[in-house]
Amino acid sequence: MELADRAVGFLLSFISLSIFTYYTFWVIILPFVHGDHFVHKYFLPQEYAILIPVFAGVTLLSFLCIFIGYVMLKSKKKKA
Amino acid sequence: MKHIVKIMSLLVVMLAVWVGLLQASIVPHSYTWLLPIYSIVSLGCYGLLMVGVGLMQFPTCPQESVLLQKDIAEAKEFLKKQGVDVSSD
Repeated sequence: MELADRAVGFLLSFISLSIFTYYTFWVIILPFVHGDHFVHKYFLPQEYAILIPVFAGVTLLSFLCIFIGYVMLKSKKKKA
Repeated sequence: MKHIVKIMSLLVVMLAVWVGLLQASIVPHSYTWLLPIYSIVSLGCYGLLMVGVGLMQFPTCPQESVLLQKDIAEAKEFLKKQGVDVSSD
């Protein structure tokens, strides 16, 4: 079904654009805004701007390592 | 071997640019510290965007699909006549 493909593609691009704008706003624009502007309510404290990508990257790397290890173990067990 | 050398040299150049920015203080210091993470996140976002756009623009050819199904049926009949077992179990 090309409609399902198109919906998934639209969802992916929407997610990526929203993440990009949110992160750009967070890192670049927010330090220039006054401390007591109301926009600061919608954004987490700035340390999380570093913690969340690093945490996601570490999770991705560990998941990849676990997956590779699991596949290697399974292939070795099948051969033996 | 040469491909690794190219990738490594690219990484070294980017690292040198970053350290140079840190020393020269053209941009405010807090921005320079966040620059690598920001570029990695935006690179990932760009990849995801390209995948999504490619998915949305993927061309399906309905007429070709019908013709292909006809071809498959024809081939199955022919092979069954020749005695080859082409059941998809």
